[in-house]
Amino acid sequence: MSDIATPPALATSSLKTDQMFINMGPQHPSTHGVLRIALTLEGEVIVKAVPDIGYLHRGTEKLAEVRGYHHCIVLTDRWDYVSAMPNNLVFCLAAEKLLGVKAPARADTLRVVMCEMNRIASHLLFMGTYGIDTGAFTPFLYAFREREMVLDLFEMLCGARLTYNYIRLGGVMTDVTPEWIGRLKEFLVYFKPRLDEYNTLLTFNPIFMARTKGVGCITPQEAVNWGLSGPNLRGSGVNYDARKHDPYCGYETYEFDVPLGEEGSCWDRYYCRVREMRESVRIIEQALAKLPDGPVMAPGVAKVPKPAPGESYAHVEASRGDLGIYLVSDGGISPFRMHVRAPSFVNLAMLEEKLVGMKVADVIAILGSIDIVLGEVDR
Amino acid sequence: MNSEELFAKIQAGFPAVERAAIPVKDYLTLRLPAKEQLLPLTKWLRQAGYDYLEMITATDFKGPVDMNGYIRQPNFNPFLPEGATPEIESAATAGFPYKPVIEHLWSFVSISDKTRVFVKLELPREAPSVPTLTGLFKTADWQERETFDLMGVIYEGHPNLTKILTPDFLQGHPLRKDYVHIKDRFDE
Repeated sequence: MSDIATPPALATSSLKTDQMFINMGPQHPSTHGVLRIALTLEGEVIVKAVPDIGYLHRGTEKLAEVRGYHHCIVLTDRWDYVSAMPNNLVFCLAAEKLLGVKAPARADTLRVVMCEMNRIASHLLFMGTYGIDTGAFTPFLYAFREREMVLDLFEMLCGARLTYNYIRLGGVMTDVTPEWIGRLKEFLVYFKPRLDEYNTLLTFNPIFMARTKGVGCITPQEAVNWGLSGPNLRGSGVNYDARKHDPYCGYETYEFDVPLGEEGSCWDRYYCRVREMRESVRIIEQALAKLPDGPVMAPGVAKVPKPAPGESYAHVEASRGDLGIYLVSDGGISPFRMHVRAPSFVNLAMLEEKLVGMKVADVIAILGSIDIVLGEVDR
Repeated sequence: MNSEELFAKIQAGFPAVERAAIPVKDYLTLRLPAKEQLLPLTKWLRQAGYDYLEMITATDFKGPVDMNGYIRQPNFNPFLPEGATPEIESAATAGFPYKPVIEHLWSFVSISDKTRVFVKLELPREAPSVPTLTGLFKTADWQERETFDLMGVIYEGHPNLTKILTPDFLQGHPLRKDYVHIKDRFDE
């Protein structure tokens, strides 16, 4: 932890100011949940920032130890509740490794479609709220208009708008209907021009760029050392994407690019996400074009699975970064141990050091650009 | 460098490091003989390209989880008839080698080689302590605090080893298998 270090700007200044202590949160609209940051200020400059988390700790790792494998999928929905599909997926991948089950080809393709749709919904939420954080209200309304369409599609598919429980052990809950695929294709046609609209609305808006470009820069070495993942890591120019590095669900068969940032500033992280939405659209289009026929559930997944003793690790590129699950089985009906490598938790840790020396107004810009969900930070 | 070549290189530099008896499926898993080996091996891995510390966690292998560790019945079943005993949620599995150890796990990733390696170390349950990795990896800070908070592993040399997820008044380490919940003012 970086204790009270005088930022260089103040060390040279002859002006002496009293230190002020400010509690930001836990109920603050810009913290996107229950995050408290204890800030010590000297004038407008932060000399110490201590993030305080745990307000939403529900102990899912402990709960998993007395629940069956099927029941654990319900727990996973509650970590990152704005993009729950990858959470479902990563638990199923880890459990399937233990059980020795392989999802059929159609289920794999549907999983890819759902995860990418959820990435779009999640990045739209980020874009809208980040606009609000930095003083632009209008993009929020546009982003939520499109996000509603994705959520409506999910509701049509599995009845839930946020906590889907759609991806199951050995496949997916239910097959898609031709009507649903038609609606999704209509959405994609509608959505692609909207991406250019966002760029004119927010991305290249001079005021927005002044607030975010060159603010909160993270070097690639720092980003790797902090263990950042997802757009936060790629915003610094490090090419690490689980979909390319350790492909799952047949991601190696899709053609897509990994958007990279240049200087690792708030704007780079933001722009990575905007470009990722376009790549997600590309992936969904390819997946729909090659959607194979067949069952959506592998045969032979028991109602009460009891995998042989062993350990497995699975990780996916969730909307917020590299989400991993470490499972230990003792041969019983529940996981003996489940550990979640939560990207938001790891990404948030850098705040403690990164905020020192910044202005108060930049706290919101930096915190917003990390894109955390407190449900995943606290688990 | 694939995992086989990596293992051969590690064997050359650290002959005491061996493959773990129970590996993490599909990935190279090493077992450290003693905690003194941790820092040299980590430094070597870091200069060999494994500079991304992905995960720090630990598992308590004492036995099945104690049901008194939960605030209330975690699998409440409203359809259970009056007076019937619920199914046992946590039962020991016959033949599984439970042991009084906490198994610590690190995973290191090489972004350029697209490989990862898991490192395991067995610690005694009574006084589990390992050297901190915060000097080498900043990401270790919070992840070690989490493991300390939930599992009670002490990290020697950690600059700020305090609770991070559980509330201040909570006593004990909830992910230990024998954790027993003490009632507080927020229950019921």
